[in-house]
Amino acid sequence: MRFTEEDIEIARFCLEEAKRHGAADARVSLSKCVSDTYSMRDGELDSVNHSADCGISIGLFVDGRRGNYSTNRMEKDTLSRFIRNAVASTRLLAEEKAYRLPDADRCAKNATEGTEMGLFDEKYYQVTDQERLRMSKATCLPKKKYRGEGWKVVNCESEYMDSISDSITMDTHGFFGRASETTFMISCEITIEDREGNKYNAYDWDADSFMDKLPRPGICAENALKTAISQMNPGKSRGGRRKMVVDRKVASKLVAPIMNALYDSSLINKTSFLMDKQDQKVFSGLLTLMDFPMAKGLPGARLFDFEGVATEDRPIIENGVIKTYFVTTYYSEKLNIPPTVSSPSVPTLMPCAAEGMEMKDEWDLDAIVKAVGNGVLVTGFNGGNCNDTTGDFSYGIEGFTIKNGKIGKPVHEMLITGNFLELWNHLLAAGNDPRRCTRWQLPTLAFEDVSFSA
Amino acid sequence: MTRDKKYYLDTFRVTEPMLDRLIATAMSNGGGYSDLYFEYSTFTEVTLRDGQVNLGGFHEDYGVGIRVLCGDKTGYAFSESTREADMLAAAKAAGVIALSVKDGSAPGHRAGCGVRSNDFYPQKESWRECTNDMFVPMMTEIDRRIREAEPRAVKVLVRLSATESDIMMYNSFRELTCDFRPIYSLVVSATIQNEKGQTVNCNANKSFRQGPECVIGNEALISEMVAKTLKYVDDSFEAKRPKGGQMPVVMGAGASGILLHEAMGHAFEADFIRKGSSIFTGKMGQRVCPEGITIIDDATIGANRGACNYDDEGVAGQKTVMVRDGILESFLHDRISAAHFGVAPTGNGRRECFRNNPIPRMRATYMENGNCNPADIIASVGKGIYVDEFGNGQVKIGEGDFTFYVRNGYLIENGRLTRPVKDINIIGNGPQALTQISMVGNDATIEDSSWTCGKGQSVAVSCGMPTVLVNGLTVGGE
Repeated sequence: MRFTEEDIEIARFCLEEAKRHGAADARVSLSKCVSDTYSMRDGELDSVNHSADCGISIGLFVDGRRGNYSTNRMEKDTLSRFIRNAVASTRLLAEEKAYRLPDADRCAKNATEGTEMGLFDEKYYQVTDQERLRMSKATCLPKKKYRGEGWKVVNCESEYMDSISDSITMDTHGFFGRASETTFMISCEITIEDREGNKYNAYDWDADSFMDKLPRPGICAENALKTAISQMNPGKSRGGRRKMVVDRKVASKLVAPIMNALYDSSLINKTSFLMDKQDQKVFSGLLTLMDFPMAKGLPGARLFDFEGVATEDRPIIENGVIKTYFVTTYYSEKLNIPPTVSSPSVPTLMPCAAEGMEMKDEWDLDAIVKAVGNGVLVTGFNGGNCNDTTGDFSYGIEGFTIKNGKIGKPVHEMLITGNFLELWNHLLAAGNDPRRCTRWQLPTLAFEDVSFSA
Repeated sequence: MTRDKKYYLDTFRVTEPMLDRLIATAMSNGGGYSDLYFEYSTFTEVTLRDGQVNLGGFHEDYGVGIRVLCGDKTGYAFSESTREADMLAAAKAAGVIALSVKDGSAPGHRAGCGVRSNDFYPQKESWRECTNDMFVPMMTEIDRRIREAEPRAVKVLVRLSATESDIMMYNSFRELTCDFRPIYSLVVSATIQNEKGQTVNCNANKSFRQGPECVIGNEALISEMVAKTLKYVDDSFEAKRPKGGQMPVVMGAGASGILLHEAMGHAFEADFIRKGSSIFTGKMGQRVCPEGITIIDDATIGANRGACNYDDEGVAGQKTVMVRDGILESFLHDRISAAHFGVAPTGNGRRECFRNNPIPRMRATYMENGNCNPADIIASVGKGIYVDEFGNGQVKIGEGDFTFYVRNGYLIENGRLTRPVKDINIIGNGPQALTQISMVGNDATIEDSSWTCGKGQSVAVSCGMPTVLVNGLTVGGE
């Protein structure tokens, strides 16, 4: 189900057609994805979904102009007409000299097989529909666990999904890059109801590129049930400035605004609260955020970005100092700063502990909660916003109180407010417990002096 | 624009006997119902930045989704090719569901059929026939007027995108339904920098199911976009984060309807009811909010982003009263939930594209007029918050808890709007908030922005509301 030579020939054909119809340069990306999902509800098969996607996107550079086009109609005569019209359409746009392909010497030259990053499991081909059904059944919560003290499960939906994807990018400067990946995923969502009819919902999932590395299928149902039960009878905690621990599963909410502020589009639109801050120390010295695209076997590992530019391991933020913006070829010229890569691949927040905190070998949620002592554990964010230009934020949260180093009562309908520069200068700790299944390798986090309102 | 059955059959290179063969194959293992959803969509986009329309594109998507229902159970597969052999393979894959279900022969409801007898999308010309240069005058004029009205503008971005979809649906009742769906979005964004170097980003967007003739040379649209983009510039520089706490909240007419969509509308979607995971499960016929409040989900508003001639299961677009005078009257059904509850489908079975199976989704969701003067509503509040626009809302369907960011709003002090506020959220519980509505204005407005609902799949929706007073909500501030 990966690309055949015939498929790759289609991509070459598109480049040739673009040149033949008058494009100065072109980039073609061919992508394919096949996935199967078996969903269970309350122990019975609820839906079976088979999908097989294939598409081609074409970036054209015509007379100093640029246009983006895509189609999933892959017959050569149809593609030829499509490209001819696309070239003509691009000619009707205004000229913009900054549009060009990246220099060939910046592009990857070693992504020829697609399997270099260790994300492809040959065993995918051996997975039968019977095996998918068996796996999906194994994701269910056993019926004997549907009732407990003061609660019952009213809905349990779980699923098993596997997919294979293959993509090829090539351009008229001679770049060729291929990336192939398999994914196996299990998940479960559970709703429970208490005696008063109040409902509590929880979700858990896990995934890996290799079937054999998936955890036991029933674990997501057990985790979701445990989480749903723990949320029962929530209250409101007192407001004020308190310490905050953030579960690794939701830590991305606090890292995403930093990432967004480092993108070229935010810089050029002057909507980044990290404008003109390269090589300046703006965050706590405890904060080091690396990008590890060469981390073989981890989701997101890759040899090239969407432009074909070669990736490399590098610091994004080092000891609080901003080291990298994400700058594409076009914006490099517009911003007059050197190009880098278009986006992070495997951003990884490195473990740390503030002075007076002892970092343990297992620096995870339990250890950090214990070290923090008192505060609020945030396990979910509910709405809210970050002002991209100023870094001011306000988010709804849910979670638990932390008292004497232990997780206490559930809380909801609370808000945190502040500014991201201030928040990350109050970093207390980052664990060494990121989940293997996520592209952003983010651990449990802890901050001090966070403003809560209820 | 007139398109007949032959146009659709030709577009998808199929014949009616071929459709019957696909249905027969899909149901060869059993099942109570099967349908086919053919789609050819084109997406055109042009962008103005740095004063020039210098980025554009055209995208197309083509394929067929095949579904088999066995009671509540679903088998689904799609093909990006409409060669018969490829479609038959997808039909077989969808039919696998029937092998695992003991009794799934209930057929569900017939829905009637048609080749666009409804007509909620005013359109004379096709977006597919337009070339990039046709939009340049309108887009550059917006850019010029913004810079003229606001010399502090340092960046202006104007983006126009339009999608047109040929849709053909066929099912095991032999109902053939076809539709041609246009939709466009116009987005304007301006970055304004004041003398102190402070920067604010202002946005406006509009979206309608209309043809290009409603956009090109539309002076009123240009003026409206410019005014809407710059409406809050000065307030944004002056706005302060207020002190938080529990207080009355007045929701302004129009865009506040997003709260209705998120905090209440989703919980009325019948898949959540069928599964028992909605907070409104078991509440049919009960009072869920005070008398005088009526909440609608409507597919029949001409040119509206949420309008549907037919839903994506071939059910005719219609107006559904969810809450009438405070009493819960109807949930929003697709064919599965309708059959489950033994009621007629309400035309809410919608999907993102042929790759997805349809599920209950909202269309244009709004609250009908009350009898209060909006000025009187504000005057009745001693100390509270007036919200003009919400953004970034989130709700937990089961619990009903919601949090909404206030994009633009003002303090109310002694019955008057005073200072602009920023960086605050409103938090509460949907059903509780409904019961705390004490005044409803007579100024119901549908907000025609580019609302896109993301319940696993993205679909175009819209929302609206009159000015409403909710007695006590938590406002997160300093």
